Amino acid sequence: MAVQVYIVTLRGGYTPESSRDVQRFVRGTGGYILMVTRSGPIIAIDDSRAALVARNPLVDFLGPVTLNPSGVAADTLTRIFAENLSKQIDGGGGSPDPNR
Amino acid sequence: MSIGKDLLDVPFGDMIFSMANAIANSQRKLDAASLRTLRTLAGTKFDFIPEVTEVLTPKPLDPVDIGGGQTVTPTGVDIKVFPSPPIKLTLLQAGLVPQFYQFTESIIEVKISLSSKLDISHSSEVDIGLEVDTKVEAGGGLLSFFGGPSGSVTTSFSSHVNIKNSITYSYTAEGSSLLRTTLKPVPPPVRFMPRFITVNALVSPPTINTSE
Repeated sequence: MAVQVYIVTLRGGYTPESSRDVQRFVRGTGGYILMVTRSGPIIAIDDSRAALVARNPLVDFLGPVTLNPSGVAADTLTRIFAENLSKQIDGGGGSPDPNR
Repeated sequence: MSIGKDLLDVPFGDMIFSMANAIANSQRKLDAASLRTLRTLAGTKFDFIPEVTEVLTPKPLDPVDIGGGQTVTPTGVDIKVFPSPPIKLTLLQAGLVPQFYQFTESIIEVKISLSSKLDISHSSEVDIGLEVDTKVEAGGGLLSFFGGPSGSVTTSFSSHVNIKNSITYSYTAEGSSLLRTTLKPVPPPVRFMPRFITVNALVSPPTINTSE
């Protein structure tokens, strides 16, 4: 099991509904929502299940990303990822804030 | 047919070329996906608030009765939050970079098992039975004068020979091939990634910071 971070872009552009549907689908396949952007969510999911997300009709593209520790806001991104991840692991059911 | 010839007929060159071609195509597609990710990250902006100032001031609360006619006044705190104006940052600037992959090692393994078997059996059975059948017919004389048969002797022989030949040839060939490749994440190629040059004019003299 190897969990990889991906950025998801949405087919037809971002809409709150399509973003929410993709987030639900990712959660349903065992993935986690690390952050929601205007392009689409940034997710963490097992490599073996990433293909399921890529085949979702609402998904345009699934690209693997990694965090550059020397980035301007790398610490902030790490904190946002950790906060959103903790909400989902604890079962709090909180949805990540849009545009964060 | 020789087994050595069969082994030589295995198209190793074609197999290796096909494998190398498949790896090259896969590598190109992986790089294209990473470049697309790079464009997505460079085009996705978000509001980044670099600083949040929190000002804590005392705010005494109402006294609380703890029994016995005694009261305690909790020390309350008033927190005022002053976020700095948000600035637009791309995810790439913020620190998310595309993941690149590279095939570092590939192994092709071909196993071929050839076997041939030739069984030749021969059996013959000669059974000679001699039958002599002799017929003597008398003729001639006055009969032959009137067109009748002349005298003749007929002898016939019969015999049989059984010969059985069997040749069995069996040839089996079994093969299996295994392709194993190792795909490793690698840092982004230097030429693919922009350099970030930050000029901080808030301090005097301005400082310049360059990061990859």
